[in-house]
Amino acid sequence: MSSAVSRARMVRLRDGLSALAFLAPFLVFYLLFLVYPFGLGIWISFHDWELVGSFREWIGLWNYEDMFADPQFWRAVRNTLTFAAMTVPVMVGLALLLALGLNRQTRIHGALRAIFFTSNVLSVTVVTLIWIMVLSPDRGLIAQLFRSLGLEPIAFLASTTWAMPAIVATTVWWGIGFPMILFLAGLQQIPGELYEAARLDNASPWRRFTRITLPALRRTFVLVAILQVIGQLQIFGQVLIMTGGGPSQSTRSLVQTIYETGFADWQLGYASAMSLFLFVVMFVASMAQLYIARQED
Amino acid sequence: MKTSLLAISALAVMVSPIAVSHAAEELTFLRFFGGCSDQYANVTDMDQAVGECGVIQVLTNKFNAENDQDITINTQNVEWGVYYDLLSTQIASGQQPAIAVMHRSVLPNFVARDLIEPLDDIFVEAGIDTSDFLPAALESVSYDGQIWGLPWDIHALLYHVNGAIMEEAGLTDAEGNYILPTSTEELFEHARIVQERTGKRYLSIGSRNDAMTARVFNLLMWQQGSGIFNEDLSGVQIDSEEGRVALEFMKRLYDEGVALPIHDGSEATQAFINGEAAVFVSGTWQVDTMAAHSASESSPLANYQVFDFPQVVGDTRATWSDSHMWVLPAKERSPEEMAATVAFLSFLNDNSGQWARTGHLPVRQSVLESEAFAALPYRTSYAETTGIAQAVPMVQNQRPIQDIIRDGLSAVWLGDTAVDAALSDVQSQVERNFRRVR
Repeated sequence: MSSAVSRARMVRLRDGLSALAFLAPFLVFYLLFLVYPFGLGIWISFHDWELVGSFREWIGLWNYEDMFADPQFWRAVRNTLTFAAMTVPVMVGLALLLALGLNRQTRIHGALRAIFFTSNVLSVTVVTLIWIMVLSPDRGLIAQLFRSLGLEPIAFLASTTWAMPAIVATTVWWGIGFPMILFLAGLQQIPGELYEAARLDNASPWRRFTRITLPALRRTFVLVAILQVIGQLQIFGQVLIMTGGGPSQSTRSLVQTIYETGFADWQLGYASAMSLFLFVVMFVASMAQLYIARQED
Repeated sequence: MKTSLLAISALAVMVSPIAVSHAAEELTFLRFFGGCSDQYANVTDMDQAVGECGVIQVLTNKFNAENDQDITINTQNVEWGVYYDLLSTQIASGQQPAIAVMHRSVLPNFVARDLIEPLDDIFVEAGIDTSDFLPAALESVSYDGQIWGLPWDIHALLYHVNGAIMEEAGLTDAEGNYILPTSTEELFEHARIVQERTGKRYLSIGSRNDAMTARVFNLLMWQQGSGIFNEDLSGVQIDSEEGRVALEFMKRLYDEGVALPIHDGSEATQAFINGEAAVFVSGTWQVDTMAAHSASESSPLANYQVFDFPQVVGDTRATWSDSHMWVLPAKERSPEEMAATVAFLSFLNDNSGQWARTGHLPVRQSVLESEAFAALPYRTSYAETTGIAQAVPMVQNQRPIQDIIRDGLSAVWLGDTAVDAALSDVQSQVERNFRRVR
């Protein structure tokens, strides 16, 4: 009896160890490149900690106090939230539309899927350079269009009204491929019989869409929305290259502020405090979305 | 493996003592000034070099080809805007270059944290004669009583002129000299004349996301006998009467269409080259490049001339200036590496006259007095610049402070921020930044 128990225990231990051994490669990287830097970030945020040199001084919550009193920080928070609020709905909606339109097994649809996904593989530098050219008030594509219609071209990136929408357009063009693929994958998992049955019942296309497609895509929806919110709150490269945060600070984003505080001003402690704030915002946003999705179950 | 390599190299040293002095040294050379290594691949003839990029690239090629100590200089070129971010991260991760370019305006930050080597003793050993440095140049590399860099130039803002447009507008005197403004009202009058008679803009100037905004603001403060820092450098005085005059002046340039607010630095440069404006507000670094453009027959930039920056506000002659120097980031160096580094520094110092060809002000007395320098074009028309050039004072965090000024002030012409609001916003931001200086 007791030997059977100890044997069962041995087996469990062995299974546990082998599971650990299989997990180890991942865990090592996870601890080393995620958990450790995260903890270090928190630690640094309680210091006046410079990027270069050796100056480090424990200052407790002072970086956080300073941050909440910093108008520049709040301006960046506001801009970042505005950007995400503009980009995410457009991205999700457009990706769904594209996926619906391209969800057919013909050659032309396959080619179009590839084309829409292509921009996704470009680097931020290439994407922004393309769009800087497109948006240029002197020689840009859009300026040509405006002139041919007898209108005065707009200097999009120099306008406090248009700079942010221009960056949103660039970002959507760049990132639309991935959510589109996710929606396509979701669409292809919906059993064809459901549509067949609905058609036999004379359900209109709109009814089939709202009663079958949308409910079946709910999980994909949540996934895409969370990924988009997390991604877009970290807007950086497009702003840095296209506007540098201007004009008149109207596109300065939080990650850009973190970057400049850490790498140009050398205030790594202060930059870490801002990074943690961003982390909390992203965490809360993701949890809220998961919570809402669960409520509907 | 390591041991056997060590043994082999030890053996090599014992067998041939010459190998020690001729050990191949590779040095990383971190700089901005642009990338043109393809354009000047293997070119060692200095006469072929044009502009900053050309001169420094050909000098590097020449050193690589001609030094007899088997030293190779590997250039790492970085765009100017992100240069210090990269240098800082290289230092933070212990991957310092052997030699790096630096502005005097950022020197205090690097010195205060022991990030670069003092060079007094190294200069003595290498026979680099510091008494040949012009006083302003020596001052630009000195901080806390020591020398921290090999001075390379003093650069300043100038008034670059498209002569063809000035002539068409009739802004010439009896001898055919171009008439430049001597006051605010004259400048706006000239702008009106140019606009009326040629349809062109008077000024081309980087106005969006460009350091030129901060440079011009500094210049306008100095022309009023003030400055963005108070006299003992303990505080900032941006939100002041002089600050208001300076910013109102800049705002008026854009309000009256004298300059275009949407132009960033490269767009402003291109507009001047395209012949869209009579005057280009930029630095000594553009002289050689603009002269080369003007030399081509079909160029709309014709009869290029360049002058001392005129008096446009206040009553003190002044123009903005900064300077470039070469520094050695602090790190462990073997005696061989140090010798190679110093050899390259000496070479640069010996050839600093070449750098003056770009349009920059020279740093050596001997260059200033040389025939080659006297033969450089345009020099007489901006000879006064050496005397009126005023550099930003050596305070810490100069670079973030200048960035704050650039972004905060341009909100007046790119957004709808009022002059007073912009001044107080910039003032409080700079004070916030200053607070963290130690």
